[in-house]
Amino acid sequence: MSATRGTVFLLDDDPGMLKALARLLKAEGFTVRGFTDAKTFLESYRVENLSCLVLDVAMPELNGLELQQRLTHIGVLLPIVFLTGHGDIPMSVQAIKAGAVDFLTKPVNDADLLRAVRAALKRAAEQRDLIAELASLQQRYSQLTPREREVMEHVVAGKLNKQIAGNLGIGEHTIKVHRARVMEKMGVDSLADLVRAAERLGLGQHSTSPR
Amino acid sequence: MTWMTIMWPMAIGACVTMGLIQLRVGLRRTPGAAHLLFSLNAIVVAIYSGCELALACADSPVEYLAWLRWLDITAGLQVVTTAAFVWVFFGTGRKWLALLAPGLSCLALIADFLPQPKLVYLQLTGIRKIQTFGGATYTVADGVGNPWNAIFYLGVLLLVVFVADASVTLWRRGSRRRAAVIGGTITFFVLAGGTQAALVDNGIMRTPYLLSFAYLAILVAMGLELSNDVLNAGQLALDLREGERRLALAAEAANLGIWIRDLVRNEIWATDKWRALLGFAKSERIDLDSYLQKLHPEDREAVSQTFTKAVESDGQYETEYRVLLSDGQLRWIASRGRVEFNGAGKPVCVRGVSVDITMRKQAEAESLRQREELAHLSRVMTLSELSGSLAHELNQPLAIILTNAQAAQRLLAQSPPDLAEARDILADIVMEDQRAGEVIRRLRALLKRGETNLQPLSINEVIQDVVRITRSDLIGRGIKLHHACVGHLPRVLGDRIQLQQVLLNLILNACDAMAASPPEGRQLVLATAHRDGTVRVSVSDNGSGLPPDPERVFEPFHTTKKHGLGLGLSICRSIITAHKGRLWAETRGAAGSGATFHIELPAMSEAKP
Repeated sequence: MSATRGTVFLLDDDPGMLKALARLLKAEGFTVRGFTDAKTFLESYRVENLSCLVLDVAMPELNGLELQQRLTHIGVLLPIVFLTGHGDIPMSVQAIKAGAVDFLTKPVNDADLLRAVRAALKRAAEQRDLIAELASLQQRYSQLTPREREVMEHVVAGKLNKQIAGNLGIGEHTIKVHRARVMEKMGVDSLADLVRAAERLGLGQHSTSPR
Repeated sequence: MTWMTIMWPMAIGACVTMGLIQLRVGLRRTPGAAHLLFSLNAIVVAIYSGCELALACADSPVEYLAWLRWLDITAGLQVVTTAAFVWVFFGTGRKWLALLAPGLSCLALIADFLPQPKLVYLQLTGIRKIQTFGGATYTVADGVGNPWNAIFYLGVLLLVVFVADASVTLWRRGSRRRAAVIGGTITFFVLAGGTQAALVDNGIMRTPYLLSFAYLAILVAMGLELSNDVLNAGQLALDLREGERRLALAAEAANLGIWIRDLVRNEIWATDKWRALLGFAKSERIDLDSYLQKLHPEDREAVSQTFTKAVESDGQYETEYRVLLSDGQLRWIASRGRVEFNGAGKPVCVRGVSVDITMRKQAEAESLRQREELAHLSRVMTLSELSGSLAHELNQPLAIILTNAQAAQRLLAQSPPDLAEARDILADIVMEDQRAGEVIRRLRALLKRGETNLQPLSINEVIQDVVRITRSDLIGRGIKLHHACVGHLPRVLGDRIQLQQVLLNLILNACDAMAASPPEGRQLVLATAHRDGTVRVSVSDNGSGLPPDPERVFEPFHTTKKHGLGLGLSICRSIITAHKGRLWAETRGAAGSGATFHIELPAMSEAKP
């Protein structure tokens, strides 16, 4: 049992239910932080390395779906597993559409719950990795000079060195040097990798290039 | 045989006849004192009349004086009996006059019992016979008059004053005819007869004494009035019998049994109808104990206490009880009566009527049964509206039990197993199971078709029960519940299930009224209060509001719902009314939005600390 399995935020207004779910998840080695109302949860929420939220739909004050919207609104990317007393299909569709990992009906079987929690944490890990990758790419991109950024833009748009030189009004050899610098600074070996990195960064969408 | 020997005996005959008639009446009637006094008076007049005749026929001074003495005595007796008659018959005379007038006349009579002189004459010098018309002769006397005689006439004069005074009072009191006829006749004829006698005494008028004829006129007047009394009494008796017959007819038609309980002799007189109602034979003797024996054992104590209380207070009472008939059937009787007290404030008897109310009681029981049936039906319908939430209420503990059990399985599979935690889990499982059992018990109670069971209840507890049932429904509808309940409330006497039903209905109605409101505005407020001996529960919403006349919502079949029968509130009201309480609605917001329903129930009195 290691603490690296992740943290599960647990939200259920019934203290009995909260206690039971916490026991089950703790037995499986998860770190559990339980709350009986949404307000307290929002106030004490801190970003964890790896975490997900198990959320009861029917709660007084702020219900599960409202909390989901609120979290999205404030930019908290927390994979959510919903629990509900009665299987309400429109409600579950709404929740899944809004990004919920799963929608489980009470009484919930331990295996189903654990599978959903693991899936949620897996998604959290993926999100975490994606975010880390993007951050490193942005870091690299920020080191490029304005001229290099121009060259990169044309390269990923699929233009030849000669065309780029013509467009920018500089020598073809100089383009070659800039291009090598871009490849080096962005940490890629091939044109394909550079194009993927540019896509991640959201570059070049505006310039569809005529050949 | 002359006219004289005819006139006086005729007068005597008339007096004796009238006297005997009134004697008979007086002996039979109560009160008969006036008749007996009249009769005595008439006999005295008859004797007096005889004396007058004997005096007119006297042949020697000795004989004359002897009869004159008898004449004086009977004249005195006339004053006595006349005064007594007026005293009794009028009831308005002055006592001192009534005593003084005969007293003076009788005092004067003492002279007649002395050797010499006699009352009328100091000395009788002689008598002579006088010839008059029709060949009749009579005797007159000559002598020296006795001044004592004036005392006798003063008595007679006072008698006239006494009668006149009593007549005036009687006239003022309204018995004008009697005052005029008897008072007038006595005044006139005693004055006239007395004057004639006085003139004869003094030798101014040489005629026989004629007072008996004056008295005859008085007797006729008195007799007429007395006979009027008898005639009136006869009519009264006829009226009374007619009244009794009407009363009996009315009592028979209304199925009333009439009874009178003699508290002194402990005996109950009752009509045949009453005897039949209670199951007594026609001639059976009834007393309080045999009466109570006929009652249902459970009612005896209460009825007997009602009697005791009535005697101690204002004497009025009303009671309802059951009579156990010989065939084992029950008969409901309503009885009301009044205790009568004597002058000293001691209870003497109780008069009352009883009536068979078995049919009414049966109808009441039937209508109660139907109301309970309808209430039950409405309860089942209300609960079916809640079925989703109720399923959730049951589901929740089951879900907790499952999760706990599975957590325990995993904990026990570890090595070493966490036994302490497993023990905690088992304790929680037991608790959650009890919670589920409690939900089921509450549901069964609500679904049960039970008889009304009144017991002291805490209204706050009833509210708690209902809130528990509706909790998840409120959450599902996005309704926020606010409590404004007073902590300590006096208890109320009520049926827990029925009061829960009323609250459930009011809460669900409030929720339905808020279905169209924006989610943040859906507020339900439950409030309790205690004032003026009542406990009040208020259910407020800020939903669609009430019709302009809020009373309409309590009419049967008034509904705003697609699938409602519109009986809920009308049943709620009948339940609260049966609890001797009130249920009403009022608009809450200024803009006609929102409604508050108030329930007011009488608080049970409790000993203040």
